[in-house]
Amino acid sequence: MKKTIQIPLGSQHISLLEPIRFKFECENEKIIGVDADVGFVHRGVELACTRSFEFKQVGYVVARVCGLCAITHSLSYTLAVEKLLGYVANDRIKYLRMLMVELDRIHSHMLCLAHTAENAGFEALFMQIMGDRELVMEVQEAISGNRVQFDYISIGGVNRDLTSELVDLVRKNLTTLSEKMEILTGLFDNNWSLSLKYKGVGVLTLEDAYTYNALGPLARASGLATDVRAETSDFPYEALGYTMMLESTGDIHARNFVRLREIVNSIAICRNIVDNLPMGEIQEKVKGKPKGEEIVRIEAPRGELFYLVRGNGTNTLERVRIKTPTFSGIPAMMEVFKGSQYADAPAILASFDPCMSCTAK
Amino acid sequence: MKIETTLPTLLLDIGAFYEAHQWHFLTVNGIDLGEGKIELQWIFSKYGVKDEVVLYYALSDYETPVPSLTGLIPSSIMGEREIVDMFGLKVEGAQRGLYLDDDSHPHPLRGES
Amino acid sequence: MKFFTPFRKKSPWILHYNAGSCNGCDIEILAALGPKFDLERFGVINTGNPKQSDIFLVTGPVTYRSRERLVELYTQIPEPKVVVAVGSCTTTGGVFRGMYNVEDGIDRYIPVDVYIPGCASSPQLIIDALVKAGEILESKSKAIEKPFKLFGAIETIGNKLSRLNMAKKVHDDED
Repeated sequence: MKKTIQIPLGSQHISLLEPIRFKFECENEKIIGVDADVGFVHRGVELACTRSFEFKQVGYVVARVCGLCAITHSLSYTLAVEKLLGYVANDRIKYLRMLMVELDRIHSHMLCLAHTAENAGFEALFMQIMGDRELVMEVQEAISGNRVQFDYISIGGVNRDLTSELVDLVRKNLTTLSEKMEILTGLFDNNWSLSLKYKGVGVLTLEDAYTYNALGPLARASGLATDVRAETSDFPYEALGYTMMLESTGDIHARNFVRLREIVNSIAICRNIVDNLPMGEIQEKVKGKPKGEEIVRIEAPRGELFYLVRGNGTNTLERVRIKTPTFSGIPAMMEVFKGSQYADAPAILASFDPCMSCTAK
Repeated sequence: MKIETTLPTLLLDIGAFYEAHQWHFLTVNGIDLGEGKIELQWIFSKYGVKDEVVLYYALSDYETPVPSLTGLIPSSIMGEREIVDMFGLKVEGAQRGLYLDDDSHPHPLRGES
Repeated sequence: MKFFTPFRKKSPWILHYNAGSCNGCDIEILAALGPKFDLERFGVINTGNPKQSDIFLVTGPVTYRSRERLVELYTQIPEPKVVVAVGSCTTTGGVFRGMYNVEDGIDRYIPVDVYIPGCASSPQLIIDALVKAGEILESKSKAIEKPFKLFGAIETIGNKLSRLNMAKKVHDDED
């Protein structure tokens, strides 16, 4: 006799922002098996990049792979093409690009924290974090002109300059935000009812993190020291005060804490950038057509983003391969679900910060 | 770093090379070269070392079955299912249907498609 | 039933479905529900249950796999209902138009009452659209209360079901 029951979650569910369907195989309340269908948002961006668009347009197309980490997509693609064209950006462009990537990381992490809180049943905390997040959105809108999907990066530079009024706004809002982060950190650390939902729930061990190639905050919460910001030399992160945030327990609480500490670190990086912004042009002429093959890795908010671009010296590219963080994180996520309670599933899922539109492209 | 390999010796090569505590498996990639030829790539990066990416590549065609790496690297199942969908290749243990439905394009990323 | 009309007007509940969008509009919907823009002051609550919803917020250009779910969710929402297409790709396909796995906008599958442009639609636009949707919902509620229009707000024009001129007709009837 069959002793398990199957419980579906998704593709449309109140706890999901995006369509993903899980089939949980449950024994009473305990999940013993899980199956996921992740292909609901497959649109076919990879083919369109090589057929419908020229290489100068593709940067704005790949930004539409994901709205949350759009800037890292366009940055990775732009870097790959610039490497193929033999162009190295000046320091001001590099700093401005880093500034936007770090601001994007702050708002993405805050959204994830809010969503985790909401899925664990803390509606007021969700509202509080969403309110604080508007500080970053305001800065992003002022710098780039749009709240999300800011097509800020183009081949050969960035599209808008950072004026002194904007620098003041960045400083003011980030100061307010870092005060709020202290309150939030205390709340996540000390609140007893939060700890019931977070501590010891959804554990990914270090050995599993290695086996299943976990990445991003998911891996760092288990103690696996991997961060593309420390593993590539495209941007001067170390000089601007980057430190890797590691936790060891690997549960939801650890993942939240990695994100909280990374937000604080990103705020420090952003401050360093606006304090030490070098002078220079923000847009330079880049000539030529991409020829050859180039690999670029960038740390997106969810982990490592990988781009492989191959061009043949014409206006259209031969291949654009996009490997997104959630895509390679899914086997590790499936592993975490096994053995946990079904009631915790939405909170565990939100704590991975899954991005299905990244995964399915 | 690019290393050439062939499909029959792939499991041996990667088995001798891969060590879970040192190498991060990125993904499986396919590139259509036209005229029925396809280049398959397996990409790894090293933990904690700057700019160390190792890329194994093998030339193949649409019909030859591709060996599966899931015995060595469980997370490679995602990349393998993706190349099954996108190129219509045969990979052991991976079925079509990660992204594509029955009435979708049969193999979108093949040349001439 | 006249009893429910004021509640529908004052507090329309929304159902949100992502039919292949890039997340941009989805997080803007969340931001609009958040404290700064505070959509809840209009009584709007995001619910996960189609059977309790009045307004259907759809984002994304409808991928092949989400077609069935989209129509299924639409049919599960009780009449009267209003469909809002959020974002450029929902209305026309946007940047995804012509890609091999998308259907270029939701109006191929379900009738749309309010279109919101923008990539991504800003929270202000979403609020405007929901206020507009509330007005349409009110006139549809009135139409559905008349006994001879029991299946409400759907009229036959040239052998085709149409809801486009519905709001206008209701006003004409009142005069």
